[in-house]
Amino acid sequence: MADLVQTLITALAIGSLYALIALGYTMVYGILKFINFAHSDIVVLGAWISYTLSSKLLPRLGLDPHNPVTPPPIWVAAVVLILSMIICGLIGFVIERLAYKPLRRAPRLNVLITAIGVSLLLQNLGQLNFMFGASPQKMPALLPGWEIATLTFSDGESARSVVINLVDTVIFATSATLMLLLQYLVFRTKLGTAMRAVSFNPDNAALLGIPVDRVVSFTFVLGSALAAAAGFLYVMKYPGMNQPAHTIWVLLGLKAFVAAVIGGIGNVRGAVLGGFVIAFVEQFGAFYISSNYRDVYVFALLIVILLVRPTGLLGSPLREKV
Amino acid sequence: MTADSIHSTTQPDSGIVQLAPLLRVSDIGISFGGLKAVQQFSLSLPQSVLYGLIGPNGAGKTTVFNLLTGVYQPDSGKMNLSDISLIGRKPHQITAAGIARTFQNIRLFPSLSVLDNVRLAGQLRSSEGLLHTLLRTSLHHQSEAELKQRAMELLEIFELQHRAHELAGNLSYGHQRRLEIVRALATSPRVLLLDEPAAGLNPQEKRSLAQSIREIRDRFQVAILLIEHDMGLVMDICERIVVLDHGVTICEGTPDVIQNDPQVIAAYLGAAPDSGQNIF
Amino acid sequence: MPRDSTQSPQTRLTPANSGFSGTTGNAWYGLFPLVAGLAMATALQFILPGAAGPYYSRIVIDAGIAIVLAVSLNIVNGMTGQFSIGHAGFMALGGYTAGILTHYGSMLLWGSAGRHGGFLGSGELLFAASCLAGGLISAVAGYVVGLPSLRLRGDYLAIVTLGFGEIMRVILQQTGRVIDDAEKFRSGGLSQLIPPPVGGAVGFDGLPKYTSLFWVYSLVTVTVVVAYRLKVSSPGRAMISVREDEIAAQAMGVDIARQKVMAFVIAAFFAGAAGGMFAHESGVIISPRDAGFQRSFDYVIMTVLGGRGSISGVLIAAAVLTALPEMLRDFEQYRLIVYALLLIMMMLVRPQGLFGIHEIWDLFAPFLRRQQKAAP
Repeated sequence: MADLVQTLITALAIGSLYALIALGYTMVYGILKFINFAHSDIVVLGAWISYTLSSKLLPRLGLDPHNPVTPPPIWVAAVVLILSMIICGLIGFVIERLAYKPLRRAPRLNVLITAIGVSLLLQNLGQLNFMFGASPQKMPALLPGWEIATLTFSDGESARSVVINLVDTVIFATSATLMLLLQYLVFRTKLGTAMRAVSFNPDNAALLGIPVDRVVSFTFVLGSALAAAAGFLYVMKYPGMNQPAHTIWVLLGLKAFVAAVIGGIGNVRGAVLGGFVIAFVEQFGAFYISSNYRDVYVFALLIVILLVRPTGLLGSPLREKV
Repeated sequence: MTADSIHSTTQPDSGIVQLAPLLRVSDIGISFGGLKAVQQFSLSLPQSVLYGLIGPNGAGKTTVFNLLTGVYQPDSGKMNLSDISLIGRKPHQITAAGIARTFQNIRLFPSLSVLDNVRLAGQLRSSEGLLHTLLRTSLHHQSEAELKQRAMELLEIFELQHRAHELAGNLSYGHQRRLEIVRALATSPRVLLLDEPAAGLNPQEKRSLAQSIREIRDRFQVAILLIEHDMGLVMDICERIVVLDHGVTICEGTPDVIQNDPQVIAAYLGAAPDSGQNIF
Repeated sequence: MPRDSTQSPQTRLTPANSGFSGTTGNAWYGLFPLVAGLAMATALQFILPGAAGPYYSRIVIDAGIAIVLAVSLNIVNGMTGQFSIGHAGFMALGGYTAGILTHYGSMLLWGSAGRHGGFLGSGELLFAASCLAGGLISAVAGYVVGLPSLRLRGDYLAIVTLGFGEIMRVILQQTGRVIDDAEKFRSGGLSQLIPPPVGGAVGFDGLPKYTSLFWVYSLVTVTVVVAYRLKVSSPGRAMISVREDEIAAQAMGVDIARQKVMAFVIAAFFAGAAGGMFAHESGVIISPRDAGFQRSFDYVIMTVLGGRGSISGVLIAAAVLTALPEMLRDFEQYRLIVYALLLIMMMLVRPQGLFGIHEIWDLFAPFLRRQQKAAP
């Protein structure tokens, strides 16, 4: 029982990260109909920018970033989170304008190849010494190690307790807040209506006077900011930071993409659902079957879902016009 | 000559009475979401006839073609070519059975040469296997040579032989339309579905097209079903016409019958039948 | 329109075909490119190491393996218009399969895992057979991975192939240690094969180094000849039609599902065989990393640069992109940055690749045709 609850808590935290990243994939796909391969690299940038900001900010407060004796005040985490979201949003904007916008009318495959190029570029630029370097770092703990709650389970003689700590709670709460904001934005505001109109048919949207380019840019900024948040939260939970081109990052991005596809790519609610589905399959598979094959479960699920329901759980079927 | 009925049809040119129809479609229908795109469509196409399928925009004409060629599966109804049922078959199987089509918005293979476009369609009937290709056996040379010869013959009939080595995408619009027909014929069909072959052609090209559609029918012994918006062309060359409106067959008969049918006139003008002018 | 149709068509047939497809009926002509390729491979084997030294020979071997992988990938990505980014997965699968066969096969046959025999000796024949087996196993995997392509288009399929490569990588990491003791292996039962003793995360070390210029360039020959013959004949045309327009291809009687799966199977076969060569190359330990997407991307870049559909273009791109980083060792950390910029620039400026769908000799084709016309 204790194990079950522990796995559940981890799955919820990880699932909300996947969902945050998946939202970026799904929004871009919804509007431009291509997989933004470079999206996972924005997550990496978010993580590394958070690291760089904290290692600059903490010494000014008289704290050693590599070995903080007392946790920094809670606003530091908020500032780092918001700054890295803003910076990544800007980077997302620039990438879209330079690399993707000229290809608006090009075949989808070309855009996909460009996205792979952008992804490779970001990874390897990030590895350069004057950027983040090619060696792993340790993220300073910005959040105090509080325990929110302790649940104790006893089965006869022994009792085990499961600790819900602040980090998991913050991850879940922040993600949930951002996702609710996004829901509001997409389904309740004028801008969201414009986004959905462009997603439905960019040409018609343009004819109706919707500034398509601005809507696309905004989508990229939004998705990149969410990715940065996910990057920040990820290194809060797992402070051992791998170098930008490390496989672990790519796998994180891939799984989030899988989440978007499983939920029905282009569908905002589907991305959130997919994020949690993936996290549950991965965490429970890792715990109850074997943790060595956790990536295999995710991809196997993807292939099964694509074969059974190619448009994902919440996606609507498509028909090609002849 | 007998009067028109479902099972026998007069053919003005030859006067031969055809008995069993080649293509027989009964009551097929399909819905997209809640929209009934085509309902209870029936058609009986004897050998070597020239029929027209007309109707206002969005009437479901191309959807009928897509149903006949297996691009969409009908929700209900039956389709038979001779004695083969076409229900549940994939598009390539239907082509192999003997139904070929052209597309309303030209769908050539733009970066293949004109010759290759035709050869590709022709190779459906050639039996060369992968191993023969890779080993370049004499069977390979023989079948490729036959394929090429047949393709060149077809191109020649349609006066495209001088363009054989050009990329299909570089042809003029009129030539591309013509190549689409050549390519469809290269599959050796028994039924040829032409989807607005005259769209975008000038009056002179249209006259020449009308002439060649008749000749195709005679020369290749195919039954032709023609979707066309140019009423002059349709009335001129089709022996029988089916009129669709909102997915429903509203009239079927000879051009004379169609032209005087109040429902057809209403469908085209969107007005009461007695409001006046004859659109034809 | 059909005014002159009474004229005999034969008299108007032009013998000129684009490219070098021999139109002669003699079947022996079919073997000529293969024989020429083998001769070239033999010449390389005996001349190059002496003339250029081991370092450059090694680069030429690397380039040959890259050519096989890129040209075979191009059958899927270029000719058939699908988008596979899991080609390294097939390579690794073939490499490990071949490695198991040579390593443990040698133990069973000769009692030790090392190299046996000289040029074309018994050991090398076992190696060639193992590479073939690696190719066949990969082809089976290609069939399985190709199946989803029947229902998925473009980018979805890309993710499935990527997932395949990653699954291969993860599974290979979970394998057992290599058994180096021949006696122990011979006496042990089948149970020692589960999990396969191929080295886990460290990689399959200790494989006999059989790969030579001769074997690599023989494989290059077969790959290029197969790719080219496909391209200029019926099966290749059917594949290209799938790339150009699936709906129209079906309407012309092409079974697009069959074409896609066939492309995957053929490409995977050559990737697997090349993997066998890679695993037995000196200085290389094949490891789970080799199945990952980073290596797959290298081959994708080669096909994109060379031209999606151009065999000679991809061949040149593969050779150059293998040799160039070797020459520019000091700039290793910039290599992928340059690749990335190349990819982006290509898509912006020349998305069809350097050669597009043309072969390098097509550049001379107008000239050749003019000559044929001039000399009737």
